[in-house]
Amino acid sequence: MTLLVGSPHGTTPTPPKPPKRRTFGRIAADQRVGLLALIAVLVIVFASLRSAFLDEQFVIFPLLRDISTLTVVGLAQLAVLSIGHLNIAVGRMAAFGAMFMGISYEMWHLPLYAGLVIGIAAGAGIGALTGVIITSSGVNSFVVTLAMDFALLGLISLVYSSFTTAAAFTVKPAGMNELRQYTLADVCVGDLCGSGAIPQLAIFTVLALAVVGYLFSRARAGREMLFVGSNPVAAELSGIPVHRRIIGAHALSGGLAALAGFMLAVTSGSFTAGIGSEFMLPSFLGPVLGGTLLTGGAVAVIGTLLGTSLTQVIRQGLTMLGASVESLSISLGAILLVALSFDRIRHVITLRKAVPR
Amino acid sequence: MSPALSAEKLVKLFPGVRALDGASLRVEPGSVHALLGENGAGKSTLIKILTGVHRPDGGRLEIGGDANEVHLDSPQAAARAGIGVVHQERNLVPEFSVAENIMLQRLPTKGGLLDRAAVRAEARRYLELLELDLDPDRRVRGLPVSQLQLIEVAKALSMDSKVLLLDEPTTASTPSEVDRLFGIIRKLRDGGTAILFVSHKLEEVYDLCDTVTVLRDGVSVLESVPLAELARPQLIEAMVGRAHTVTELPERPPSDANPTLELAGVSTSDGHRDVSLSLHRGEILGLYGLVGSGRTELAKALLGLSPITSGSVRVGGKQVKIHNVREALKKYRIGYVPEDRKEEGLFLEQPVSRNIAVAMWDKLSRRVGGVSAKAERQLADEYVERLGIRLASTGQLAGELSGGNQQKVSLAKWLAAKTEILIIDEPTVGIDVRTKAAFHELIWGLAADGLAVLLITSDLVEMVTLADRIIVMRDFHVCGELVNDHVYDSTSREVMELIHADAPE
Amino acid sequence: MTSLSTLAPRAVFRSTESTLAILAAAGFAALAIASDGSLLSGSSLETLFTYLAVPVLIGLAQMVALAVGQMNLSVGALGGFVAVAAGSVMAHQGVPAWLAVLGALVLGAAVGAINGLVVVLTQINGFIVTLATMTILTGLQYEVVGTATLSDYSPGLRELGRTSVFHIPVIFLVAIAVAVALAVYLRRAIWGRRLLASGGNPLAARLSGISNNRAIILAHCLSGLLIGVAAVVTLASAPGVNQSIGGDWLLASFAAPIIGGVALSGGAVSVTGTVLAALIVRLVDVARAQFSLDPSWVNFVVGAVVLGTVVITHRRGASA
Repeated sequence: MTLLVGSPHGTTPTPPKPPKRRTFGRIAADQRVGLLALIAVLVIVFASLRSAFLDEQFVIFPLLRDISTLTVVGLAQLAVLSIGHLNIAVGRMAAFGAMFMGISYEMWHLPLYAGLVIGIAAGAGIGALTGVIITSSGVNSFVVTLAMDFALLGLISLVYSSFTTAAAFTVKPAGMNELRQYTLADVCVGDLCGSGAIPQLAIFTVLALAVVGYLFSRARAGREMLFVGSNPVAAELSGIPVHRRIIGAHALSGGLAALAGFMLAVTSGSFTAGIGSEFMLPSFLGPVLGGTLLTGGAVAVIGTLLGTSLTQVIRQGLTMLGASVESLSISLGAILLVALSFDRIRHVITLRKAVPR
Repeated sequence: MSPALSAEKLVKLFPGVRALDGASLRVEPGSVHALLGENGAGKSTLIKILTGVHRPDGGRLEIGGDANEVHLDSPQAAARAGIGVVHQERNLVPEFSVAENIMLQRLPTKGGLLDRAAVRAEARRYLELLELDLDPDRRVRGLPVSQLQLIEVAKALSMDSKVLLLDEPTTASTPSEVDRLFGIIRKLRDGGTAILFVSHKLEEVYDLCDTVTVLRDGVSVLESVPLAELARPQLIEAMVGRAHTVTELPERPPSDANPTLELAGVSTSDGHRDVSLSLHRGEILGLYGLVGSGRTELAKALLGLSPITSGSVRVGGKQVKIHNVREALKKYRIGYVPEDRKEEGLFLEQPVSRNIAVAMWDKLSRRVGGVSAKAERQLADEYVERLGIRLASTGQLAGELSGGNQQKVSLAKWLAAKTEILIIDEPTVGIDVRTKAAFHELIWGLAADGLAVLLITSDLVEMVTLADRIIVMRDFHVCGELVNDHVYDSTSREVMELIHADAPE
Repeated sequence: MTSLSTLAPRAVFRSTESTLAILAAAGFAALAIASDGSLLSGSSLETLFTYLAVPVLIGLAQMVALAVGQMNLSVGALGGFVAVAAGSVMAHQGVPAWLAVLGALVLGAAVGAINGLVVVLTQINGFIVTLATMTILTGLQYEVVGTATLSDYSPGLRELGRTSVFHIPVIFLVAIAVAVALAVYLRRAIWGRRLLASGGNPLAARLSGISNNRAIILAHCLSGLLIGVAAVVTLASAPGVNQSIGGDWLLASFAAPIIGGVALSGGAVSVTGTVLAALIVRLVDVARAQFSLDPSWVNFVVGAVVLGTVVITHRRGASA
C-alpha cells in the first residue's frame, strides 16, 4: 500500500541535484590506482638505477616475502581500525601466538599446520580477552592494549626464559624450511609452473586478504563492525550487538597478528620472544597509506596490500641505493606523517561535503 | 536607566530554518528577567548568540546602554563584554580548588608565579557574597552539584559581569537547593546585578522574576512584561499561541481493541515513578512533556538501555523483560526513531542504502556471499520511494542529505525492519514547515496501515494534529491523560494546564 | 546533570601516594632484611639510586604528556638521539660539556615542541604523531653515531656521573631536583596551571580563555625537555652512548605514571606518585637480583600491575 507522500500545500520545490560527490568507495578506488601507479613508477626508477633490483631470487623474492608478512600485520591493525580502535599490542600478540607455535613444535611435537592453528587460536584468544576488558571496563582501546602490551611482554619473556635456552624455540617442524624457500615455481600444473619470484608464504596473505575483504564488504559481522566505528551510539540503537563486534574485531586482530608472527618465524627460522617488535610502525603505515581511516567506519583492504608494497619497495630501493637500514626509518616516519596529514585533509573534506543543505 | 543588556530584533538563519526572526530582549540592572519559550521557539539559539557561540544574521546587541553595540565572536568575547553564564552542564576543572576554578579566567600573579593568597582572598569575597561556606582550597571534585552550580555563579560574577545568565539552573535541584539559589539571586538583584533567568518552570518564574520575555517561533511575542501584570493563563497562551491550524487528516480505521504494548506501574533507575500507559495497533499515542520530563528516558528504558526497577511491561499481552535494542527489535518488533538523528539515528559517513538496511542485515544475509548488495539496494529503493526521500542515488552518504530527508532515512530504517511498535521521538525538530506537514501525513499513514505509534513530541500543534490520545508527563511521572479531539485551543489548554498545575507535595 | 564526583572515579591521590610510599618503604625494609643488611651498604645504595635517575626522569616526561591527555611515544628515540648528538659534538668537535648539556636541553625541548605543533596542526592522535617522530628520531640517532659507541667525551661530566654525596649519586639528586622543579611549575606557574586545566576539562579551559592548543604544545615541549635531562644523565653515567640508548625507555616511561596514579585521560598528575612508582619498580628489580630470579619476572610483574591498575582505576571513564 502506498503511503501518502509529498505535500498538498502547493508544490514542493525540487531541491537542486546534489553535487557530484565521491563516496568513500570512489576515493578508495582512486587511491588504489594512485598507489599502484606510484609503485610501478618507483619500480621502474629503482630498476633503472640498479638493474639488480629485478633479480628474481635475491631481491624480488625476499621483497615479496616481506610484503606478504607485513600486509598481514597491516590487516591485524585494520581489523581494529574498522571499529575506530587501536591495537598497540599487535607486535606482542604476534609474539604471543608465535610462542604457542614454538611450544607446539618443541614441546608437544606437533606438525607444522597444527601448531599454526594453535598459535592463531592463542592470538585470537588474547585479542578476545582484550576486547572483553575494553567492553566490560569502558576504558578506551589505546590504554587497554598498551597495558596488555606490558603484560604480554613480561609473560612472553618469562615463558621463553623458563622453557628455552637462548630465548628461542629452535625445533623446526617438517615443512617449515620448505615453506621458507618455496616459490610458486615449485607449484606446477603439468608443464606450467608458477613464477619463481612469488613465495609460497604469499598464499597465507592472499587467504587473509580474501577473508578480511569478504568480511568487510559482504559479511554482516564486518559491516556491523564498520558501523560501530562510524557511530557507536547509533549502532547500539540500531540493534547492532556492539560488544560482540568489538570483541570480535580484537580477536581478529590477535589472530592475524599471530599469523604474521608465524610468517616471520618461518622467514627468520626460529620462534623468539622478539618476534613482532618491529610490527608497530608497519601495522599503521600499510592501512593509512592504503586509505583506511583512523577514525573508523571505513577500511581499505587491498589498499593495505598496496600501502605495504609501496613502503617495502621504497625500503628495498633505497637500501640498494646505499641508504642504511636505520636511515630508512627517517624516510618512513616522514612518509607516515605526510600520509596522516592527507588522511586528515581527506576526513575534513568528507565532513564538509556532509553538511546538510 | 539604560538596560544592562539589550537585544533588538535578532535574526538567525540555519539551512532550512529561521531559528530567530526578530527576537528582542531587554534586561535592566537590579532585576531578574525571565526568558520563556517552548521547545523550538528559539530560546537556545538566543542564548547561544548571547554567549558568543553563534553570530546573528541580523539585529543588534548592546551591553551597558545605547551606543555600546557589541559583536560577540566567541565565548571569551562574550565574557569580556560582561555576560557571565552559568550553563546547564557543569564546566569546572575537577582537580583544581574552588578558588582556582572561580578565578580561572584571570589568575592573579605575583612575581610571575601564581599568587595563591590573592586567589584565595578574591574567591573568598565571592563565596561570602553567595553565602557559600566552603574552604576555597578544597578540591572541586566530589562536591555536591548544587554547590558546583554556585561556584560557577561565583565564577561568572568574578568577571565583573554586567549580566548574569542562568540557563535552566534548577533542572536537577532539590527544593531546598532551589530556595537557596533563589535567595542568592534575590540578594544579587538587590545589589544591582542584572539577571537573565532562562527556565521552563512557570512556578519558579512567578516566584522569582520581575519581568518576562516570551519567545515563540523565533519572535518575542511578549517583551519585558512585568509578571505582576500577567496572569498565568495569559502567559501560557503567549507561549503556546494559536497561530497554527491543525491539519485535517483523512479518517483512519479504528485501532485494535487489545493493547499491543502495556506499561503498568513502571519505575526506572532514571527516576520514573509509576508510569502506566497502553498502546494499540493502528493508534497514535502521544507522549507530551517539557524538556526534562523523562519521555526520551522512558523510551530508552523500554528498549533495555536503562533498568526498569518495578512494574511490568507487556507486549502482545505477555509480560516481557527487554535487555537491549536488538532484543526489542528482533523479538518484540519494537523500534525507536531517536530525537537526535545525527548523533543517534544515522551513520552520516555511510551510504543511505546501508543506513536503511542496517537493521535487516541478518535477514538479507545469505549463507554464502554475505549480505547481498543487490537485495540491500532494492530494499532501500523501496523505502526511498515510499517515503519520498530526495536523493541522487542510495549510494549517497547520509550526511549529504537535507535535515528532512535525513529524518526520513532514520524512519525508513525501522519501516524496512518491519517493526510493529514504533516509538518516534521528536520527528520534526529542525525541519521546515512543508516537510513537517509531509511527515505528519507519513506518520498518520503508518498508523492507518496498522503500526502502533508512540509519538514523543514537544510541538503541541504536531501533537494535536496526530495523536489519538495524549499522555502528559512531568518530572518523570504521568500527570494526566486525555483524548484528543484535534481541536487546538481546547486540547492545548488542557495539556498546558496539566503541565503547569502546581506540583503536589 | 553529572556530578563531578562521577567524572573521575579513581582513588583519591592522597591515598594513592601514601599507599605507594608505604609500599616503597615496606619493600625497601624487606629487601634490606632479606639481604642481611647489605642493601644498606654505601655501594648498594649508590647503585640503587644511580639506576633510578633515568626512570624517574622519563616517567615524568611521560607524565607531562599524559597531563593533557596526550602520549609521547618518542621518549626513547628522542633521548637516544639527544644523547648521541651531545656526545658526538663533545667527542668529535670538542664542544665544552656545559655547552653540550645546554644544547641537549634545548634540542629536547625543541623536538618536543615540534611534536606538539604537529599534533595541533594535524589534529591527529598524539600517539600516531609521536610514533612517526619516534621512527624518524631512531633513524637520526643512527645517522649521528652509526654502529660506534662514544665514550671519550668530557671527563668532567663522566666524573660527575660517578660522584655521590653521602652515598647518594649526584645524578639522582639532579633527577629529584628536576622533579621538584616540575612539581613547583605545575602548582605555581600560570602556564603550569593552565596546562592542567586544559587536561582536566578542555571545555572549561576554553570557556575560561585558555588555549588548549598552546597547552598541548607546552606539554610536549616540557616532555622533550625532561627527556633532554635524561639524555644528559645518561651521558654522565653510562659507559658510553650508542645506537641502543633509549631503546628500552618507552614502556618504562609509562609504568611509573600509570602505577603512580596519573590519569591517562589527563588533568591529574602526581609527581610524588610517579617518583615513588619508579622507585618501586626499581625495588622489584633489586629484589629480582637479590633472589636471583629471572629478569623476565620484573617485566611480568610490572606488566600485570600496570594492566590491573588500568582496569581498576579507570572504570567507566573514557569511552572506547
